Amino acid sequence: MPDSQLPSEHPVMIGIGEYRVGSFPMMTIGLGSCIGLTLYDPIHKVGAMVHIMLPESANRTDRPGKYADTAVPLLVNELVAVGCKNRSIIAKMTGGACMFEYFGTNLNIGMRNAEKVRQMLNEYHIHLAAEDVGGKVGRSVTFLPDRDGSVTVRRADGTSSNL
Amino acid sequence: MELSTVQADAIQELGNIGAAHAATTLSQMLGSTIEMRVPDVRVVDLARLGEYMGEESAAMVAFELQGEIPHGGYILFYITRESAIRLTNTMLGQTEMNRPLNEMDESALLEVGNIMVSAFLDATAELLGFVMLPSPPALTIDMAHAAMQSLIAVMNGETNEVLLFSTELVCEEHKIDSDIILMPETNTLQKIVKKLENIMNGN
Repeated sequence: MPDSQLPSEHPVMIGIGEYRVGSFPMMTIGLGSCIGLTLYDPIHKVGAMVHIMLPESANRTDRPGKYADTAVPLLVNELVAVGCKNRSIIAKMTGGACMFEYFGTNLNIGMRNAEKVRQMLNEYHIHLAAEDVGGKVGRSVTFLPDRDGSVTVRRADGTSSNL
Repeated sequence: MELSTVQADAIQELGNIGAAHAATTLSQMLGSTIEMRVPDVRVVDLARLGEYMGEESAAMVAFELQGEIPHGGYILFYITRESAIRLTNTMLGQTEMNRPLNEMDESALLEVGNIMVSAFLDATAELLGFVMLPSPPALTIDMAHAAMQSLIAVMNGETNEVLLFSTELVCEEHKIDSDIILMPETNTLQKIVKKLENIMNGN
């Protein structure tokens, strides 16, 4: 869904399994084990953001943004379609936390998500420039393709940092 | 996943009974009256979860539903961070609001969650005739959406919707607002609905 004509005042919310492509501000809130992945091409000044929930699609095709193994090719193809080259795309990844320690390995899906995203980016020769993943902390991410692809991560305690 | 009006009503009634018992235990712990709102049953698309649970800081005590259905979903005691401090202050005889939640608060919250969720599930077991046992509790104090999303991610990955069934419990005297949220897996939901239909048909 290339959507570069939207107004840029309010960030577009990217819900679980959703993705957008364009040069308008985008945002995902409350990432736990989910991953907020952003791809940005500084040459074309266009970006894409996806809110991934699980590592493997297991051949499900209804929501490609929901799974790491389908979300990465999806975003790369969308950017290539508007003229970007894989080698100029910069990736940043946030999330992949483990919010409930007790449930242990059962919930360590966050780590598996992050691992799968790294593997897929590698496969598509996309440079992962920065990541803020893991731990036991929720994160919200704001992505501004219209401002050099800036990525800001905010936490529940109010602190925020640039990625 | 779609619920008929009859099914939604039946689940609401189940929530009434469960939450009433949970409210009683909370009322005893606080020595204060607890009001119970009408249970809210809704099917939420994953992509829209952010409209119900946001970035607000909350304490959540989560339990996996076990027993006759091994991975039956989750039940949570949800309380906003402010209410959580008021709750533990009331229990521990303190008044300071501007403070971080410490280990003492955390064990108090785990205990309250444990007692309330057990009361909820005991009451529903009696009505349904099958047992949903809570796992040991897990606590997180962070963004509500982040915690809920993490639980949903380990539920049935094929569905794009989740049934959120919440009942709000309010203590006006101490300004404490909390929720009990049930997120049943599809198999649990089907079993609950079938049992309730049987009960209503007099079987």
